[in-house]
Amino acid sequence: MKPNLLDVEHVNKIFTRGGFVSRRVTHAVNDVSFSLAADKPEVFTIIGESGSGKTTLAGMILNSLTPTGGQIRFRGRDLREIRSRRDRLEFMSHVQAIFQNPFDAFNPLKRVDRYLFSAAKRFMECRTPAAAAERVDESLHKVGLSLAEVQGRYPHEMSGGQLQRVAIARALVSNPSLIVADEPVSMIDASLRMTVINLFKKLRDEFGVSIIYITHDLATAYYISDRLIIMQKGRVVEGGDARTVLAAPQHPYSIKLRQAVLSVDDAWRDDSFTGGMPATAT
Amino acid sequence: MIADLRSIPSSVELRAPQAAPLLSVDRLKAYYKVKLFGIDREVRAVDDVSLKINRNEIYGLAGESSSGKSSLIKTIAGAIRPPLRVVEGSVRFSFKDGERDIYKLSPQELSAIRWSHLSYIMQGSMSVLNPVRRIKHAFADFALPHVAAKGADFTHLVEGHLKRLHLDPAVLQAYPHELSGGMRQRVTIALATICSPEFIIADEPTTALDVIVQKGVLAMIREIQQEFGSSVLFVTHDMAVHANLTDRLGIMYAGRLVEEGRTRDVFKRPLHPYTAHLISSLPRIGDEAPKKALEGSPPSLADPPPGCRFHPRCPLAIDICRREAPPMVELLPGHRTACHVAQADPARVRPVA
Repeated sequence: MKPNLLDVEHVNKIFTRGGFVSRRVTHAVNDVSFSLAADKPEVFTIIGESGSGKTTLAGMILNSLTPTGGQIRFRGRDLREIRSRRDRLEFMSHVQAIFQNPFDAFNPLKRVDRYLFSAAKRFMECRTPAAAAERVDESLHKVGLSLAEVQGRYPHEMSGGQLQRVAIARALVSNPSLIVADEPVSMIDASLRMTVINLFKKLRDEFGVSIIYITHDLATAYYISDRLIIMQKGRVVEGGDARTVLAAPQHPYSIKLRQAVLSVDDAWRDDSFTGGMPATAT
Repeated sequence: MIADLRSIPSSVELRAPQAAPLLSVDRLKAYYKVKLFGIDREVRAVDDVSLKINRNEIYGLAGESSSGKSSLIKTIAGAIRPPLRVVEGSVRFSFKDGERDIYKLSPQELSAIRWSHLSYIMQGSMSVLNPVRRIKHAFADFALPHVAAKGADFTHLVEGHLKRLHLDPAVLQAYPHELSGGMRQRVTIALATICSPEFIIADEPTTALDVIVQKGVLAMIREIQQEFGSSVLFVTHDMAVHANLTDRLGIMYAGRLVEEGRTRDVFKRPLHPYTAHLISSLPRIGDEAPKKALEGSPPSLADPPPGCRFHPRCPLAIDICRREAPPMVELLPGHRTACHVAQADPARVRPVA
């Protein structure tokens, strides 16, 4: 049997701060388990507020943090075994990350195409500039851009949506099978947000890339995810099929989260804005 | 002291119709003028914006980053510094104790109306509050020069104000890092409203907050507005917040106001293709229909396209859009739009599915 793409098994992460006298322990991720099947690409969403441990979990999946307990396996291989430079490069070519703010992710003094070319050289062993350019152009086309548009431009010359698409193109250079996207659209303007969100759908459907989408925005999560988990203080409080969970959440915290989402449709109902506060004279 | 604050007239009395709007912005142009390597460059951040904000209403301003909304509110608050300059137009307030043109006041007069008449809720609560001083010092720094009370009276006043806003006066003893993000933002709101200002500018006050906290903070702003009868200029790019909070809504695109109307009308019947797109592309829980994304990017304000600034991305653009900038025209009662197509035939602007 083919191993799963990703197995996260009873993963814990504990951070300790302070020394001998005042020791403070933060249980950032507490017993989280899920797995992604190898043959069925999907958008798997992790929902949580700030401090819920979702970014720590992403760090462990990317193998930049080591779990305190439990195991994460990528294609059946424990991430702890991936130590040598060669193994790490190999792992990185399969698992790529996209971050929240594209303006922070790119160095403002570096042309954006340099990131793409160095990814092509490192992961795809493109020895000649022409081979690298072809590779880069191909992945830029997947995100609706082209090398001609991007070449020689600095981050400030592009809009947030464009730059985030370049970040995705960079992640795609190595033909990854898993992309971890940490709040990829929260810094992007409303009119450009949907281009990025729709792009994730396209990656899943056309290129068979599985995506772990980390967000606190329930509406976009509903729009693109297949499955999701909701995290609170490091624990998974609810999980399952995205539409089922968001349509009828069961756990008190998920219900609270669901109710806190401001909806345009409910806006003109009379009771929409009491928000638990005492009613005021109008 | 608390009783004194309670004696402020309730919003019911203030709801009486008043002739003059509280704020009138008239054909305002504010440009960034930069000289770079001997070349003059102009960034037209606010280009010919006219709007009026009535007493006792929450006016929403929506627009993406670099649409000029921050420049507009800074200009309205009289808080601009070079290279941003007002090139044309005026910003007039008619406060209860007289009319003021922001750009004809001396710095002393301007600082006298700040906080007591005109206050500002900022986005990053951590950068408003001094991280190494207790919250009570922040209140003293901001509000003490603007209120009559001193010493123990002042402390009473502050505590009373916090209680009115359902905050525990114990926060005064806390340092900013000891409070959660939502609590800090509530404190900055309390800070901005301590003198019951007539006009409050709220610049993305909930953008950095989590959803659960956000709803509470918005309820607080709504409650303050109703209790004090203030007007609020509420800026955010989150359309769902506008739908739930604001009374009237203005949409900015590339330095210009492109649509304005009662929030409900704007959502139900958008009259500008940009607004129509913004509203129809909002993902909603329970709606699985694929959403179309808008092609292209917002234009650079240093070199905006001629004519209507939205025309390169507009699905409805016709020939005149490429040549002439559309004026703001009131098509329906209280509902203005700057779109040639809508002005010819409002039925052509429809939410794109």
